[in-house]
Amino acid sequence: MKVVYGLATSLIAMAAAAAFALGQTPQKTGKMTSREDAAATIAVMDHVWLNAAHNNDAGTAAWLFADDFVEIHPGGDIVDRAQQIDEIKDPSRKFAEIHPDDINVRYVAPDVAMLLDTTTIRGPQGGVNYGGKYKVIRVFIRDQGRWRAVGAGIAPIQP
Amino acid sequence: MKRFQLAGLFAVLMCAPHVFAQSKPVSDAATVEQLKKFDHDWLDAEKRLDIAYCEKYFADAYVLVFPNGQTYTKKEWLGILKGPDHPTITFLNPEDIQVHLHGNIAILTDHTTLKGHDSKGNSMDGVFNVFRVVTKQDGVWKATGVVMNAIAEKK
Repeated sequence: MKVVYGLATSLIAMAAAAAFALGQTPQKTGKMTSREDAAATIAVMDHVWLNAAHNNDAGTAAWLFADDFVEIHPGGDIVDRAQQIDEIKDPSRKFAEIHPDDINVRYVAPDVAMLLDTTTIRGPQGGVNYGGKYKVIRVFIRDQGRWRAVGAGIAPIQP
Repeated sequence: MKRFQLAGLFAVLMCAPHVFAQSKPVSDAATVEQLKKFDHDWLDAEKRLDIAYCEKYFADAYVLVFPNGQTYTKKEWLGILKGPDHPTITFLNPEDIQVHLHGNIAILTDHTTLKGHDSKGNSMDGVFNVFRVVTKQDGVWKATGVVMNAIAEKK
């Protein structure tokens, strides 16, 4: 029963986050969103990103990642957009857990943003067996009225 | 018939600027070179403990993430560099710098070799793949974020 309740709660949270994020509307030229609004949206995008990774949801990843996306994994591997989407949709791996905490949107300008979070990841992906907490910088740009991810750098938090 | 051909040509010409204007990240060669130089200047400044440079060219939002996940803000990191427990860096060089330019933000990935030791004499030698974020603020590019990853040996 607990599992069903937890699953339902997760689904509702994900649906709410996705609806909020997908509903981003194009801004008229010259109209700037407030820093607070942008920071809140960016924080939601962080959840959308990791939900996509958790659910092997390549469609959402493709929607979110900009063309020139780049990510550096623990161990130093550098992957581009196509490689990262391939890793997300790979059915042979399934994260038991992946979610962000302590989301700290450190920089917001009208069209760019950078956040730092603590991401908990458990499970395999792209040759890396994740098992713990990671410090992650994530970068976003506002492209044609919506926020898109352009990159991430991930380092493991060693005890 | 000629009228249709002209209309077709006109339509193609009208579409062309739109197609070319679609922005994939701007490939501005001069800015890319400027940012590669900035990567070198930034690391040279840290190596020689040039606090004035770092104060000027590090954004207030700057955050540094070491390979062990330890995190420092601008104030914390510059406090270390100018304090008695600063590291001694004898070699710090970024290579294979790749610039991903997106208007007023850019991600640089590079392969950085570090030689030196901390204030207690512990070696800091290593080779890292580094994720750097730089932002353009009031016309000036500033270091805004860094994640360092020690390169794992391939099995």
